[in-house]
Amino acid sequence: MDAIVIRNLSKSFGQKQAVSGLNMTVPAGAIYGFIGENGSGKSTTEKMICGLIPKSEGSIRIFGNDHTDAKVRAGIGVLIEAPGCFPGLTVWNNMMLQATNLGLENAEEQVRATLKLVRMEGSASNKYKNCSLGMKQRIGIAMALLGDPKLLVLDEPLNGLDADGMRIMREVLTDIVKDGEHTVLISSHLLPELQKIATHYGIIRHGRMIREMTAEELSEDCPTFVALRAADMRRARSVLNLHYARVEEDIEREYLRVYDAESPEEVVKHLYDNSVTVSELFTERIGLEEYYINLMEGRK
Amino acid sequence: MKKRFSTMLFVDVRRLLVSRLTYIMLAIALVCPILILVMTTMMDGAVTVNPQTGVETEIKAFDSVWQAIASPSSAGMTMDLTGMCNINLMYFAAAVWVCLFVSEDFRSGYAKNLFTVRAKKTDYVASKTVVFIVLGGLLILCWIIGALLGGAVAGLSFDTMGANYFNIVMCIISKMAVMAVFVPIALAISVAAKQRAWLSICCALGGGMLLFMMIPMLTPLDAGAMNVVLCLAGGAMFSFGLGAVSNLILKKTSLV
Repeated sequence: MDAIVIRNLSKSFGQKQAVSGLNMTVPAGAIYGFIGENGSGKSTTEKMICGLIPKSEGSIRIFGNDHTDAKVRAGIGVLIEAPGCFPGLTVWNNMMLQATNLGLENAEEQVRATLKLVRMEGSASNKYKNCSLGMKQRIGIAMALLGDPKLLVLDEPLNGLDADGMRIMREVLTDIVKDGEHTVLISSHLLPELQKIATHYGIIRHGRMIREMTAEELSEDCPTFVALRAADMRRARSVLNLHYARVEEDIEREYLRVYDAESPEEVVKHLYDNSVTVSELFTERIGLEEYYINLMEGRK
Repeated sequence: MKKRFSTMLFVDVRRLLVSRLTYIMLAIALVCPILILVMTTMMDGAVTVNPQTGVETEIKAFDSVWQAIASPSSAGMTMDLTGMCNINLMYFAAAVWVCLFVSEDFRSGYAKNLFTVRAKKTDYVASKTVVFIVLGGLLILCWIIGALLGGAVAGLSFDTMGANYFNIVMCIISKMAVMAVFVPIALAISVAAKQRAWLSICCALGGGMLLFMMIPMLTPLDAGAMNVVLCLAGGAMFSFGLGAVSNLILKKTSLV
């Protein structure tokens, strides 16, 4: 069964169409990376899934039921924009409020375990307003995880996290979906981080889904290339242009990319034969970020 | 349904217990009548002169402690100190409290967590209504205690002005029941205004002013059982009616 099935979803705010005929399918057990530019309708869609804003048109089904179903909604963990905590209360009290709200029977135990999971057990007595951005984000994640929700909806959960925080986040999310019963819908602009965990992707633009694919399909769509740095880059390029149809310059990293080479050895041989010294060479696959930018710019 | 409502109620009570504002509001309800009674007694008989018209006005303080709670039905609504600075101020205090409490839900983002897992908005509305009616009752009790203490300190008379103690008890119960009119008004305005506390407070106070004039007529010091019945009926009507309106607002509008 699919975790989320959205059909022809639309939402307008006055004259502005935020989401327009969106179709989306999130399989159960997936970590679904929801990608799009700022203002593309990601957050609006997530808020509609969570019932926080009413939809104008269309249908949202969660685990086969309408998204307004109370039982379905009780099984959603959410972190949208910022954690919903009271600044004047301690981390512990904020967590306990949410635990009470969820009607958890062993609330204290679960709060303690969840705080430990995100490495925040030592900050339970801190007031929320005194926590750093990264700590707040971890608290938000802990709050979303309370009560073992079947569906996690996370909007930019990686914002403000340090390297350790991101690693913990990756571990927690991949652990959660292992049993195939839990599903994560996550939107983030940190695409390289997202690529490390996502099993499915949905790319939204101007409120419409422009592409949905699995991580495998993304891999197939992302070609590998031989990247190299030579002593004389201009000469290296002109040599490679004679042998390969697609040679591009990675201006940012100062590399030459050869997309249609059979092997790195073959590239080196051509350069060596033309007395071009190679100082660095490796094989790489284009990442989600580049794929996404290319897609947005209409490039293949 | 019962469990959902009880957990919501528990969340609200828990929030109130850990909130400083709860204790501040109760302290205000306790201290205000003491200050009012003591200070007005000290100023009793003082004359103020309007510099433009030259008209002299004598400050007339409370004759009895019970005036700080209600006036007898014969007195009606008086626009002087005793008519304005009495227990009825607590309706505004309760309305402000509701507005601050609800706006904090939306401002902090807590509403997102809450309404994601709680599809039924009725729990939220019902819980807030019940909790704040009870708290409003507590405010009234605090005011009464404060008035009795203040009266004793100021040396005011405890003359019941023709009412007996049954009337006074009925009056107090009526006052508490009227909370069920003010709380739903403030709640409906607050859920519409969401995080804009200033807007909800202004609207709730404005709306409350329209009803303020009716309170002395409904809850006189010499109230009887009929006053209690009327106030309870009014409270129930407002609570259910405006509760449904609040519910509808939450269902049809954005919660973030």
